[in-house]
Amino acid sequence: MKARIEQHYLELEIDQGGSIQSIIGGQFARDIFPISSSIFNPCPYLIGTLEGLLNNAPLTLEGMLLQEGEADYHLDVELFKTDAAIQVLIQDRSQLYQNLSQLNQNRNDLYFLKKELDTKNLELERLRQRAERANEEKSRFLAMMSHEVRNPLNVILGYTEMLAPVLKSKQGKDYLKYLKASGRNLKVIVEDILDLSRVEAGKLVLGNEPINLRELMQELEQNYHGSHRDIEIALNFTSSENLPEHVLGDDVRLHQILSNLINNSIKFTPHGSVSTSVNLQSSEGEAAKVCFQVKDTGRGMSPQQAASVFEEYQQNELDDNRIHKGAGLGLAIVKRLVTAMNGSITVESQEGKGTTFSIDIPFHIAPASLAKEKELKVLNKNYIKGSHILVADDNYMNRSIVAHILNNEEAHFELVKDGLEALSAMQSKSYDLVLLDINMPNLSGADLVKQREAYQAENASTTFIALTGNSSKEDIKGYKQIGFADVIPKPFTSEGFKAALNKNLAGLS
Amino acid sequence: MLAKKVLLVGKFGVGKTSLIRRFVENEFSEDYISTIGVRVSAKEIHLEGQEIKLMIWDVAGTKDDEKVPKAYFMGASAAMYVFDLSMEESFLNLTEQLQTVQELSGLKEITVVGNKKDLLTAEALQKIMALTQNQVDLYTSAKENDHVEEAFKALALQSLK
Repeated sequence: MKARIEQHYLELEIDQGGSIQSIIGGQFARDIFPISSSIFNPCPYLIGTLEGLLNNAPLTLEGMLLQEGEADYHLDVELFKTDAAIQVLIQDRSQLYQNLSQLNQNRNDLYFLKKELDTKNLELERLRQRAERANEEKSRFLAMMSHEVRNPLNVILGYTEMLAPVLKSKQGKDYLKYLKASGRNLKVIVEDILDLSRVEAGKLVLGNEPINLRELMQELEQNYHGSHRDIEIALNFTSSENLPEHVLGDDVRLHQILSNLINNSIKFTPHGSVSTSVNLQSSEGEAAKVCFQVKDTGRGMSPQQAASVFEEYQQNELDDNRIHKGAGLGLAIVKRLVTAMNGSITVESQEGKGTTFSIDIPFHIAPASLAKEKELKVLNKNYIKGSHILVADDNYMNRSIVAHILNNEEAHFELVKDGLEALSAMQSKSYDLVLLDINMPNLSGADLVKQREAYQAENASTTFIALTGNSSKEDIKGYKQIGFADVIPKPFTSEGFKAALNKNLAGLS
Repeated sequence: MLAKKVLLVGKFGVGKTSLIRRFVENEFSEDYISTIGVRVSAKEIHLEGQEIKLMIWDVAGTKDDEKVPKAYFMGASAAMYVFDLSMEESFLNLTEQLQTVQELSGLKEITVVGNKKDLLTAEALQKIMALTQNQVDLYTSAKENDHVEEAFKALALQSLK
C-alpha cells in the first residue's frame, strides 16, 4: 500500500508498545530527531492511538505538535500496522506549520475582531431601535396630547371671538386682547408640536398643488399689514417679475415656513424693517429653483446662536418680556419642512445689525391647465344663509360656538349630541350639509358616514364635513375616503369656518 | 501505570489550551495563540487508588461547520467538549455539537465543560445554566482556576469506564 506521506524524513518500525525495532530509512533525520533522547522510543504521544490501530489500515495524524526539550516539532505521522510490527513514517512540517501558524493566528484574530464588531453592531442596532421606539412613543404622546388640547382651545378661541362684540368697556376689551393673543400663541405651540411629531414619525405628507408665488406674497403682505398695524417696523414684501406663473408645491406649508421666519424676525426687530422677498434663482425646462429671503434689521445673533438656531426648543433671550417666546420649535420646523421639500436653508447674522434667512427650494413649474382649475375656485357669494345644516358634537361649548356662527350667518340649523341622534335626525329630514365631530359617544362621526343605507332616503346627496382635531393630511385623506367632503380642523376661526362651509355648499370642495 | 488518551475538542477560542495549561502547568496567559493540528501534553494523576498518566490531546478548535479529524480520536478513552460561556453561539446548538463528537469518536459519553465563567455575572450564569440544563458537567474558569481540576478528574473518570 502506498504511504500517504511521500517525502518522509524518518521511517521506523516499532512494536505494539511503541519501542523502535529498526530504522528503515531516512537516517539523516537523526540530526533532527535525537532518537536516543527518545521522542519515539517508545513514543508516549502514540499511547492509545497504537492500541486502537487496525491491521492494514493506514492512519495519518496531521499537525502533531511534539515538544522535545526547548524545541517544538510539527509533524505529520502515518502509522501502518501489520501482524508483525507497526511502520511509522514521520515528516517534519515545522517550517510549514510555523508559516501556517502566523497566518492562522492572523485569521483567528480577524475572526475575533469581526465577532467583536458584530456584537457591537448588534448592540448599536438594538440601541438605535430602542431610541427609535422611544422617539415614536414620544411623538405619539405629543400628538395625542396636542390633539386633546385642541378641543378646549377651540372653545377658548371661539368664545373669545364671541365675546368681542359683547364687551363694551376699554378694560374689558384690553383683557380680551390679551386672552386672544395667548389663545393664538397656544394654538401655534400646539400646532408646532403636532407638526414636529408628524415629521419625526415620518408622517408629513406634502401637497403638490399649483401655487402662485406672487399671490402667496400678496396674501402674506395683506395678512401682516392687517394684523401688525400697531408695530413700529416696516414690513416689506417683494417678488421678482420673472417668477413662473404657478409652481407645484404645498402652499400651506410654504406659507407656514415664511410666516414662521417673518414672525421670528418681527420678534427680534424692535426698530427698522423686516423684508421678505421671492426670486427666481434659475430655471430649466419644467424645473425652477426659487429663493425666498427674510431679512431684518434687528438685534442679530452671535455666531454661536446662529449655529444652533434650527435646533429644537432653541430660544434666544428676549429683552422685551411682553413678547411671547413660544416653545422654540418654529425654526426647527422650518428647517424640517424645507428639507422635506428638498430645499436648503441658511442663516447669516450680525449682532446689532440683523439677520437674513435664505431658502432655496426646487419646484416643478405647474402646467397651465392645472393652474386654471385652481383659479376657478374663487367665491363671492354667501351660500350659508338659508341653508339647512345639522351639527353633531358631544361638546356643548363647541356646539354653542358653531351655533353662534351659523346664527350670525342666518342658516337653518339643528344641534345634536352624538352620532345616533344625528342619524335619527337624518332619517326624518334632509340637510344641505352635516357637520360631524369624529370622536362622539354611541356612534362616531366616521361610523355614521359609513352607514349610507340608513340615511340615504333623505340625505343621499348631503355634504358631510368633519369637525375634528385629527387634521394631518393622512387623517384628512382617510375621512375623504369614507365619504366626508371636507375637514375643518379644530381649533378654527369663524372666518375659516365660514369659508369652508361656503366652499362646500357651493360644491367646490 | 495506566496511560489514557483523552481529547479536548470544541470551537476555537473557547479556552481548551488554557484549561490544559492550567491543569498541567498551573499557568494562565491572557494572550490567545490558536492551536494548529494537535498538541499532546501529559499529566499524571492519582484517581481511585491508581496512578494514571493522561495523554491529553489538545485539538485545534473548529470554526463554523468544520469537524475534528476523525484520526485524532483513534484509541481515545475519553473526550471533553469545551464551550465558551460568554459566546452564545458556542453553546446554542450544544446537542448537535455533542452528537457530532460522539459520532466521530465512537464514545458514548462526553464530558461537557462551560469555560470562561469569570466573564459572566451570577445572573447571566444562572440563565445559561437553565438553558443548558442537564447537558453540562462543569462550569470552569481557566483564568481563575475554578473547577479545572474537577473537570479533568471527570474526564479521567470517564476514561476509566
